[in-house]
Amino acid sequence: MARSNNLHSVAAIFDTPNKIIKAAEKVRDEGYNKFDVNTPYPLHGMDKAMGLSSSKVGFVTLFCGLFGGSFILLFMWWTLAKNYQLFIGGKPFFALPAFIPITFEITVLIGAVSTFIALIAVFFKLPFNNHPLHDTDYMKTVSVDKYGIYITTEDPKFDKEKIISLFKSLGAVSTDLIYLPKQEKFSMFNLKFVLFLIFVAAGTSGSTYLLLNKLMYITPFDWMEFQEKYTPQETSLFFGDRRSMRTPVDGTVAKGFIPYPYKGIANPTEVLSNPTIPTEDLLKMGKKKYLTFCSPCHGNFAEGDSRLNGQFPNGPTLHSDKIIKYSDGMLYHIITNGQNAMPAYDLQITRHERWAIVDYIRVLQRAKNAKNSDLVEIKKESTTNGQ
Amino acid sequence: MSLDYSKDMVQFTKEPKLVELDNLISKPMDTNPSRKYFIALAFTSSLMFLGFLCIGYTFYFGIGAWGNNQTIAWGFGITNFVFWVGIAHAGTLISAILYLLRQRWRNAIARFAEAMTIFAVICAGLFPIIHTGRPWLAGYLIPYPNSMNLWPNFISPLDWDVFAVSTYFTVSLLFWYLGLVPDFAILRDRAKDRIKKLIYTFFSLGWRHSNRHWRDYEKAYMVFAGLATPLVLSVHTVVSFDFAAAILPGWHSTIFPPYFVAGAIFSGFAMVVTALVVMRKVFDMENIITLNHLEKMNKIILLTGSMVGYAYLMEAFISWYSGVPTEQYVAVNRAFGNYAWAYWTTVSCNVFFPQFFWFKKVRRSIPLMFIVVLLVNVGMWFERYVIIVSSLHRDFLPSSWTYFTPSVIDFGILIGSFGLFFTLVLIFTRTMPVIAMSEIKGIVEGAQPSHDGGAH
Amino acid sequence: MANNDSGYIKKVLPSKIGKIGLILFIIGAVTGLYGYIFDPSRAVFSYLTSFWFLLSIAVGSLLLVAIEYAASATWSTPFRRMSEFLASSIPLLIILVIPLLLSIQYLFVWSHTDVVANDHMLQAKSVFLNTPFFSVRVIVILLIWSLFYYLIIRNSRQQDNSGDQALTKNNIKLSIIFIPLFAISLTLQSIDWIMSLETKWFSTMFGVYLFAGATCSALAALAFISVLLKEKGYFHPKITKDHFYSLGTLMFVFICFWGYIAFSQYMLIWYGNLPEETFWFMQRWEGGWKFVSLFIIFGHFIVPFATLLSHPSKTNLKKLKFISIWILAMHFIDLYWLIMPSMHGNGLHYSFSWMDISFLAASVGIIIFMFNKMFERYNLIPVKDPKLQRGLDFHL
Repeated sequence: MARSNNLHSVAAIFDTPNKIIKAAEKVRDEGYNKFDVNTPYPLHGMDKAMGLSSSKVGFVTLFCGLFGGSFILLFMWWTLAKNYQLFIGGKPFFALPAFIPITFEITVLIGAVSTFIALIAVFFKLPFNNHPLHDTDYMKTVSVDKYGIYITTEDPKFDKEKIISLFKSLGAVSTDLIYLPKQEKFSMFNLKFVLFLIFVAAGTSGSTYLLLNKLMYITPFDWMEFQEKYTPQETSLFFGDRRSMRTPVDGTVAKGFIPYPYKGIANPTEVLSNPTIPTEDLLKMGKKKYLTFCSPCHGNFAEGDSRLNGQFPNGPTLHSDKIIKYSDGMLYHIITNGQNAMPAYDLQITRHERWAIVDYIRVLQRAKNAKNSDLVEIKKESTTNGQ
Repeated sequence: MSLDYSKDMVQFTKEPKLVELDNLISKPMDTNPSRKYFIALAFTSSLMFLGFLCIGYTFYFGIGAWGNNQTIAWGFGITNFVFWVGIAHAGTLISAILYLLRQRWRNAIARFAEAMTIFAVICAGLFPIIHTGRPWLAGYLIPYPNSMNLWPNFISPLDWDVFAVSTYFTVSLLFWYLGLVPDFAILRDRAKDRIKKLIYTFFSLGWRHSNRHWRDYEKAYMVFAGLATPLVLSVHTVVSFDFAAAILPGWHSTIFPPYFVAGAIFSGFAMVVTALVVMRKVFDMENIITLNHLEKMNKIILLTGSMVGYAYLMEAFISWYSGVPTEQYVAVNRAFGNYAWAYWTTVSCNVFFPQFFWFKKVRRSIPLMFIVVLLVNVGMWFERYVIIVSSLHRDFLPSSWTYFTPSVIDFGILIGSFGLFFTLVLIFTRTMPVIAMSEIKGIVEGAQPSHDGGAH
Repeated sequence: MANNDSGYIKKVLPSKIGKIGLILFIIGAVTGLYGYIFDPSRAVFSYLTSFWFLLSIAVGSLLLVAIEYAASATWSTPFRRMSEFLASSIPLLIILVIPLLLSIQYLFVWSHTDVVANDHMLQAKSVFLNTPFFSVRVIVILLIWSLFYYLIIRNSRQQDNSGDQALTKNNIKLSIIFIPLFAISLTLQSIDWIMSLETKWFSTMFGVYLFAGATCSALAALAFISVLLKEKGYFHPKITKDHFYSLGTLMFVFICFWGYIAFSQYMLIWYGNLPEETFWFMQRWEGGWKFVSLFIIFGHFIVPFATLLSHPSKTNLKKLKFISIWILAMHFIDLYWLIMPSMHGNGLHYSFSWMDISFLAASVGIIIFMFNKMFERYNLIPVKDPKLQRGLDFHL
């Protein structure tokens, strides 16, 4: 560093901790206030000797930490309980116990980062690489094993000769005069600086753009996402009609399909016979399917009491003599083929389930048209069961 | 047992001179590395590149390249993650907790331990990211306002991990750097080489050893230690929540948080001792990092090892006491099932072998202590392996029961993480002061003013 | 008895202190006995709470003594005697536990053979939870504690006369053996007395939770007494704010530890949401207990945390005195919250009873009485401890 002739400060070097503490006390007592002590490591009791108050760094941590913690708690409340509610794991939207770990972490993070920034930028006023002390012999000595003190010319009581004699009387090993570095003129509008600003601006905006718009959407390896197969409705380059979904060959039958011979016939002369044996399980299934598909129009007990309140033609009761006399196959045919206003149900209900419904309708018909002789039967059963 | 408390001090064969300290500590930076150093570096960095190759293959092929399967979805990846996070904890413990407890012996090892923290967190952070399978989408883990209005699931312990580990890394880095600033200034004023000087000037930020700065510096150091202490506990607590918040028997146990923290300190100290034993020999720092330091660390290993033993005991006992059949089954299956070998390796390495540290001779013998700490390192890796794999491998559906067989890629990445860690450590020892110069100067005899009666 | 080496002059407390202790104990014991005759099942629960209050202060203090030795801590050496005095009720616990063991049927569901016979899970646990084994465990643990109390404190007191350094070494060894034993024995005691009140509930953290509570209360008792003695001029004049700062920091650390343990235990059970675990917390969230739970969060963690956070507040003796008595009160409420909601297991419904107060008064009376007695008989400071000088000279 080139030095000018302007004095910055008068410095002295001491070789023991006791002497420097004494020197600092003396300098403070003499009424100087623009002075500082440089020691290779913090000395106990030096703050008191120099008359410094205790540090205020802790407050920065406290306030920034509390701010960070409350901010993230609010943020989590807003994202999960307000902005986009998702029901996760049976927890409430604002699941406080589950938010505490992150609140804690962010408190610490914001507290630590702000302390660090405040420490460097506000308390230390660093980086400060062209401070007059740098590159002096004084600095190189105090950074190793000696203890230095200096008083700057800014001090109202500054008097070069007086200070030097004061230091000597305190037992200084050596005294030094530190000169200010030569002033370098700096213009805001020189080309280099403007170019530097442009470079920084372009770099920041470019990298932000790249990160948010490109980098986050890059898929380096996508062979798992995009595999060599056709997805539905995709264009095919192979087939002439450019369709990847092909029409089946004429006469193709779906797997498990059994044709129904009387399809489309309104009043068939012959019908299928019931292939099922009405077991309890089958009737339970029949009940379930009946309640799902048939009961809206025919009523829960097939009495024609529709739940649709006239919005749709009421289905007839299934307890009329006509229907009781229908064969099982006929009932099956009506379910499969539809009748009058009733649509065909062969696409919704499987064959087996349709037969189960037929069996269940028979159960309902029997139950709704019970006779006295049935009571005798029931009594007989209950006595044999011992009830 | 000794009541001679002067042993807390740094020991020198002759009268300590601060210049000598500077010379000794900055020697690795001032001299050209020896051939041995390059051999070591070549070895560790080739392991590291092996690891990177395996990671690259994983990125290309997907997680299917690992031994993980539908039942054991967390295999080596999470084991390694927890292992490395655990290693990291010792550094913060030494630098922050022992600082708050005013254990001055920490000064000699704090810097090195903090560096190990940072490198271990780097190794640890790698695993969850590669375990996501598509790490280029990891940006979504950070809550950023995207067009889908999609926020991270803050209720998930896995998301807490993202916050905990990244906070831990940031705070450790700042703490470490704060301690390094005065040392960089010392190096700056020593440097003869122009480029070196430029670099040290940049990193020292123009530090002037000013007492007006030291005042705030010391307070800030205290504040950082105060922040880092609960932070270090919270990090492994959050890692333990990954397991304990699930209702899987063998994972869902309320003792997990303190148990994981104790285990982390345990494994971390073992790793620090492992590295220090080698380093103090190589760099002739036996006078600064003395046997007393190692003995104290061994005592902490004994203490935390016993805590881990207590947790094993409680887990086994409560799983019986709970009366829940699945809990009981998991406990029995751990000890006598397919993974009995891993379980008993864990128990013997973590609980049995550290008991040798009851004997002073073992605590103070370099080869014996080296064997024990290596075993502890192995044991703690297996502990996480047992927790993860043995709890998962017996699913609730017996048809899903399976056995975990790691693939070559798994081992490659594990070895690679060790390579990465030791490469970083080796580079660190040559570029930065491994011992905090300004701190160690402050505690040599006669370094502090004697006006308050030498009470320190 | 005065010893001039350390500058400590022995003083005697005003005689009314001992009397106050005795009167408190007698009032508490008499009213408690009346309550026991009147309503034994309610009285036993109150008795258990106060018994644990006494136990956790006494055994926690012994642990502090052991840690002081094992860690070779120096700043706490002048305080050690007070912890020793506070621990002096450990041998009394063996007598005090007898009423509890005799009325075990009022406390625990598992002690009723007819209930156990009809409950599969209780049968499975009966290997561990049965009256003979339970009583043996409790007595053996109390005997072990008393033995260690006797050995450690004897060495410490002998040193006052002989100044033999070997005694400190012996105590370090004893302490190192005691600490792991303490960990296991306190865990067993907490499972036996408190966790098994709700026989079907379990938590692996439970022992650690009570360890944290016991250490907090022992520290708070130590802080309260030392501040009081310091203010009245009975303590060593060389004890400065730096000592109290360290004590306050330790209290702060254990408050944080308690908060950490309590939160982790609650959070994991809340998160897991398994009915076999959550019912325990659900009971403590019903009716008025909800407010007690909330009050414990604030009173046992947030209030002491905020009070002790800053540096000046740890050296402010008035604040320290207030917060230590606050923590002691909170520890009692914490124990109350752990024990009382489990009363329904015996078909009882919780309602506040004057017996809670009378047994608490009795246990506080015991602590005061024993402390005064020890104070009369022994030095308040371990005058010939090799670490004492360093401890007195301690500065931050």
